[in-house]
Amino acid sequence: MSKTYHNSFFAMNTRFHAVFPNLDYNYADQVFHALKMEVNRIEQKISRFIPESDLSIINKTAFKHPVSLDEELFEILSSCKEYWKLTEGAFDVTLRPFITYWNEKPEPQRSTSQLSNIFNQVGMVHLHLDKSNRTISFDNKHIEIDLGGFGKGYALERVDSLLNTHNIKSAFISFGESSILTLGRHPAGDCWKVGLNNYLEPGSSIHEYPMQNSSMSTSANFYLDDNGTLCNHNHVIDPVKGVPVNDFISLAVFCNSSIIAEILSTALLVSSDSVIRNTMEKIEELNVVKIDYSSDEARVIKF
Amino acid sequence: MNINRRKFLEMTGAIAGSSVLTATMPWFSIFNNPAPAGKNASDRIRIGMIGIGSRGQALLLNMLELKNRMNVEIVAVCDNYEQHYQRAIKLTDGKAKAFYDHRKMLDEVEMDGVIIATPLHVHAHQTIDSFKAGLHVFCEKSMARHLDDVKEMYDTHIEENKILMIGHQRLFSPVYLQAMERISNGDLGSITKLKGIWDRNTDWIFYDVPGGRGTELDRIRNWRLYEESSAGMITELGSHHFQIANWVMGEEPLSVMGSGSINYWNDGREVYDNFSLIFKYSDGTHFIYDCNSANKHNGMQFQVQGNEGTMELESNKQFAEDAPPPPAIDELLQNIDSNKSETIPIGGATWIPSGAVTYGGEFISEDWKMNETLLCLEGFINFIREGEAPERLTIEGYNASIWSLLAEEATKTGSKIIRNPKYVL
Repeated sequence: MSKTYHNSFFAMNTRFHAVFPNLDYNYADQVFHALKMEVNRIEQKISRFIPESDLSIINKTAFKHPVSLDEELFEILSSCKEYWKLTEGAFDVTLRPFITYWNEKPEPQRSTSQLSNIFNQVGMVHLHLDKSNRTISFDNKHIEIDLGGFGKGYALERVDSLLNTHNIKSAFISFGESSILTLGRHPAGDCWKVGLNNYLEPGSSIHEYPMQNSSMSTSANFYLDDNGTLCNHNHVIDPVKGVPVNDFISLAVFCNSSIIAEILSTALLVSSDSVIRNTMEKIEELNVVKIDYSSDEARVIKF
Repeated sequence: MNINRRKFLEMTGAIAGSSVLTATMPWFSIFNNPAPAGKNASDRIRIGMIGIGSRGQALLLNMLELKNRMNVEIVAVCDNYEQHYQRAIKLTDGKAKAFYDHRKMLDEVEMDGVIIATPLHVHAHQTIDSFKAGLHVFCEKSMARHLDDVKEMYDTHIEENKILMIGHQRLFSPVYLQAMERISNGDLGSITKLKGIWDRNTDWIFYDVPGGRGTELDRIRNWRLYEESSAGMITELGSHHFQIANWVMGEEPLSVMGSGSINYWNDGREVYDNFSLIFKYSDGTHFIYDCNSANKHNGMQFQVQGNEGTMELESNKQFAEDAPPPPAIDELLQNIDSNKSETIPIGGATWIPSGAVTYGGEFISEDWKMNETLLCLEGFINFIREGEAPERLTIEGYNASIWSLLAEEATKTGSKIIRNPKYVL
C-alpha cells in the first residue's frame, strides 16, 4: 500500500488530482474533501455552463441593469480588469462571441461586417465595475463573461491557501495537467521536477523546470488528434484582430501565483514578444517559455 | 445514440451461450434465434388487445409496427370506455373486431394471444379468463392489486401451460443487457448498495374529470389515484425498479420497510404522493427507494453501487470509484513509491488532447437508444410462435409484483414485512 495519498475528482470540465506524500491517509482524505468542496463551490459560482451560477445570472442580466456582486466575485472581476490592462488587452474575458463566430459560423456565412460588429460590441471596455455600489453592468447584450482562462487558476489559489491552513508541507496538485500547483518538495528530491510535454515526441520533456511552492500553467491553441497530428482549435482569440491564433505555439508560465500563471498562459499566447517582455518586467519571479511547433522540430524560446 | 437492429443483434450475439445470458437474461437469445415465421395466413399470430388507454394505445401502435415484419395481426380490440373503444377501431382501420367486454371477445374471436393494458385491479381476472380461453398473455405491470391474485395469475399460467409476460420493458433494454453482463463480470466489484429514485413534479392526473377526485368517473379514469384499483406510484412506477433490483441481485429481497404519505397533492386522492422504502437482500445489501411527486430535481435514476464503481442505469453511465490517473500522475506516483525524483512530462494544451484526462464516467452501452417496448412485444410474438417463454422472464414480473404489494403493506403498517411462504415459487 502506497504511503502516498492520491485522489481525484471531476470539475471545470477536467480532472483535479491531488498527491500528498507521507501523510496519514485519513487526514489526507479529510484535506482532499475540503479541497473538493472549495473547488466545487467556486465552479458553482463562476461557471458559465451552470445556469444558476452567479456568473450566468450576470451574463443574462447585466446588460439590462447593474447587478450586485458579492465581495468575492467583485474581486475576481476586478482582477480580470486589472490583468486586461496589465497585458495590454491580451487577457480579455469577453471574447466568447468571437469564438462562437469562428467555431459555429460556416465559412461561407462569415463576413467582414459581422466581424466588425462583434469588434464594436465586445471587449472589456464595455464591462463596468462600480466599486462604491459593488455592481457590474454591460454596455450591450452581446457581452458574455467567460472565466475559462481564469477559473482553474483561481481555484488553485484557494487550494493553495487551504493546504497551508491544513499545514500540508508537501503536495502536487494537477488541474487537468495544464495547471499545476506544488508545495514543498518531492520526497526523493529538493523540488518537484516538471517537464513540458513534447508534442512531437509525447511522453518526453522538451523543457524542464524545478518547482517548489510555485505554480505553472500551460496553454496551446492546438491538440493532438488520435493520429498524432497537431490540429488547431479556434478557442484562443487574438483580441487585436478578433481572429483565432492559428500558430502551433504552446506557452508555459511559471510563477508564485496560480492566478497569474493561468491568466498569462493564455494572454501571452496571443501576445507579441515585446508585450511578453513588458509584462515580465511588471511581475516578479515570472518565467515564460514558448515552444514553437511550426516546423518539424520544436523550438524552445525562453524569456 | 441510436442503435440499429444489426448492432443490437451483434450485442446479443456476442454474449449468446455465456453463463451470464443463460442465468440472468435468457430471453435475449430469442432475437438471434427467432422462431421461424411463415408468410401465409395460417402462420399468422392473431392478437387481441384489451385496454386502449394511454399505455394500451402505445402498445397497439407498436404492434402495428410489428405487423409489417412479423406476420402478426390485431384481430380484436376491447375497451369499455367509449372514447378508447372508438380510438381502437380508428387505429386498426376498423379491421379488428371491437368489443366492450373482454369475455365476449374471448368467446367470439379466434386468437393466439392477448395484450392487456387495463387498470391494475382488473388484470387478474382478465388474464385468468384469457389463459382459460387457451391464450398466451402479455400483461402490463404490475400484475395485480392483491397478492392472492398475483399468485393465481402465475399458477394459472402454469396449469394452462400458457405464456405470461409482464410489461417490464427494461428487461429488453440494450443498456441493461450490457450492464447486467458487466456487473456479473465484476466491473463494480462487490455490490454494496442499490439506490432508486423516481421524482417528478406532477399531479399525476391523466384526465380532467368534472367534479374531480372522488367522483365515480374519476375512480374509473384516474384509477391510479384510488386504493381499490392501485397502490399508486408503488405499483405503477416503483415496480419497474423493484424488478431491476431483484434482477441485479439475482434474487428477491428478504424484507421491506417503508413509509409514505400525502403531503402535497392533498386533493382527495387515496394513494401516497411520496414514499420511501428499504429492501434488504440475503447478503446484507440494501436497496433504498424513494419516490416524490412534488419535486423533480433528482428525476429518475437507478444506481448500482459497488466498492469499485457505480452504474447509473437510467442514464447509461458508469463511474469507476477511482478514475484512472493520467500517465503523468501515474508516473509521479510510481516515482514517489520507488523514491526517485525524476522529471514528469506534463501539460501543454489548454484543450485536452483526445483520450486524455477528462473523466465524467463512461457509457455502459455506446449504442443504446432502442424502442424497448417494441423489443418486448417482438419477444412476446416470437415466444407465442415457439409456444413457450423462458420461465425466468415470468418470474421477474411475478417477484416485482409481489414485492410491490409487500412494499405497500410496509408503508401502511410501519412494520418490516417479509414474504408469506405461500407466495414463494
